[in-house]
Amino acid sequence: MSEKVLLVDDEKDFLDIMSERMQARGMTVKTADSADKALAMLESESFDAIVMDFKMPGMDGIQALKNIKNQKPELQIILLTGYATVEKTVEAMKIGATDLLEKPADLEALAAKIKQAKTEKMLLVEKQNEDKIKDILQRIGG
Amino acid sequence: MIPLHRLKPDFWDFPDISGSHSGLNLKRKWKMIVLVTATLALSPLVIMTLVDFSLTRRTIETEANTGMLTSLNTIAAVISASLEEKPPVTGAKTLWEKAFPHLDTGMNNDLFLMDNTGRLLTPSVYYGASDSKTSLDAGLFSGAEGIVNIQAPDGTPLLAGYTSITGTALTLVKLQQADRLRDLWLKPRLQLLWFLCASIGFILLSIMGMATFLVSRIHKSERMRIEALHHEEHANRLASIGRLASGVAHEINNPLDIINQKTGLIIDLLTLEKQARPDQRLLPLAEDVLEAVKRCGTITRQLLDFARHMEPCVEPVDMEEVISQVLALLETDARHRDITINVPPVPKIPGFACDRSSLVQIFLNLAENAITAMGKTGTLTIAVTHEKTGFVTIRVSDTGKGIPSEDLPKIFEPFYTTRTDRWGGGLGLAITYGLIREMGGDIRVKSAVDKGTRFILTLPVKAPRPAAPDGTLHLPGSEMTMSAKPVDDDTRRDLYAKS
Repeated sequence: MSEKVLLVDDEKDFLDIMSERMQARGMTVKTADSADKALAMLESESFDAIVMDFKMPGMDGIQALKNIKNQKPELQIILLTGYATVEKTVEAMKIGATDLLEKPADLEALAAKIKQAKTEKMLLVEKQNEDKIKDILQRIGG
Repeated sequence: MIPLHRLKPDFWDFPDISGSHSGLNLKRKWKMIVLVTATLALSPLVIMTLVDFSLTRRTIETEANTGMLTSLNTIAAVISASLEEKPPVTGAKTLWEKAFPHLDTGMNNDLFLMDNTGRLLTPSVYYGASDSKTSLDAGLFSGAEGIVNIQAPDGTPLLAGYTSITGTALTLVKLQQADRLRDLWLKPRLQLLWFLCASIGFILLSIMGMATFLVSRIHKSERMRIEALHHEEHANRLASIGRLASGVAHEINNPLDIINQKTGLIIDLLTLEKQARPDQRLLPLAEDVLEAVKRCGTITRQLLDFARHMEPCVEPVDMEEVISQVLALLETDARHRDITINVPPVPKIPGFACDRSSLVQIFLNLAENAITAMGKTGTLTIAVTHEKTGFVTIRVSDTGKGIPSEDLPKIFEPFYTTRTDRWGGGLGLAITYGLIREMGGDIRVKSAVDKGTRFILTLPVKAPRPAAPDGTLHLPGSEMTMSAKPVDDDTRRDLYAKS
């Protein structure tokens, strides 16, 4: 089954080409040109991963990351940045980013990260389900 | 022989920088110190010597004159007494011949009698035989007694002592070479003069040495002050350039990524969708563009790295926080590889200060190396101990494949790597080494093949100084440095070829 990705960037050019190229690699891609739009889309749709630019007008990458993680903790988020400093990366990782890639990004590397993110998400969802089942069983047992 | 230029102090040719940071003309200052001190120290000495000189001369001259007059008066009294009964001229001659036949006359003791017309009664060494008329002016000897300076017919300066013989018109004259009297006081004084000159020389040398020492100290501290100011200006300028470069690099990366993706799309269209008759040159051309984009990306990344390195700052650092920051970055990788990370409780190190980013970089490089060395499964241990000697010891150990003993001496050399993937540039440990040395610390390594490797870092609690403000990072081995300074095209090509 193909990966479903939400691509968030304020550069329309970038969005169009990336989505076309990612689709050419068998992924299902939706785009949003701002973090606010991405958040709105997340309410109605589910994705395997989000690929988001770190620096956008309006809500910046860190804020968007926090909001998305609050809304959907299991969602895997890959950030794209012009320059990854240790501090910036650590901050993003602490909030819950799956990975951080530097621009100009290599699409093959990004595709590999997305695949990995999907697996992580599935494991996470499975674990959440297991926990829920355990919780229910404990309640029934208790 | 010591060449003269070696004696010249450093500040001698130091330019007068009154217009800039310093208001000092050190050469003039040195001259003033020497002049004032020498005047103060030598004036009393010279004045005392001159006074002593003049007093001694006068005393010796007076003593000699008195002695000469006394002896003349004695002889004159004897002659006068003998002539009381006889005509003075013939009597005097007779007496002279009888009483003074063995007079030890000579150049320095020319004793003779003359009358008031200047005629000699007895022979003179300087003025010839008796009864001759001398060239001496009788008027010179007009007084009862006295001493006058005259010149002999041959030009010799003479000292003439005279006394008139009572009751006669005769005068007893004694001539002495004027030089002899001068010798009496001048020779011992000249010997003393040598001693004086040596003392003056010694005092002058001491004053000059002292002045040179003091002015050199002023010059040294002044130079250090100016250097510090220059350094600060230079560092500020570089920091501004760094910020500018960082901004430019950020802005370039976005359009660069669009070029990257668009070219990628061209390649996708050509390869994935199998166009009917594409021009054969299109694909290699697009790949060339991608290669160029990669190069641009490397340059902007390097620019940003250097920009970061240009603004090192020593600040209080919490070691535990730094370690947890680094571990947060490595956690996912370690989890995928099933590697356990073990960090014993980190002691609190009061006053620990260093360049935080450098410390993070050091930990990151060592930990990444350890994880790579372990491959699948293993334990990475980071242990920190606070030594009482003012140093912090950090041990980064892994249970990986270890380093063969023949490779151990080379691991800190630039471009030495055993990794075959494209990330193993061989600079990680070299940079780590450079950063540790800049922080005033040291790094050692112990390793056993198939058992593991341990890096032992020693860092001072207080970093001696921030890393090089010119953005230069000194690498071990050879004379190589990584520098933010511009490099020429050949060097750049070489670096790309190696990386």
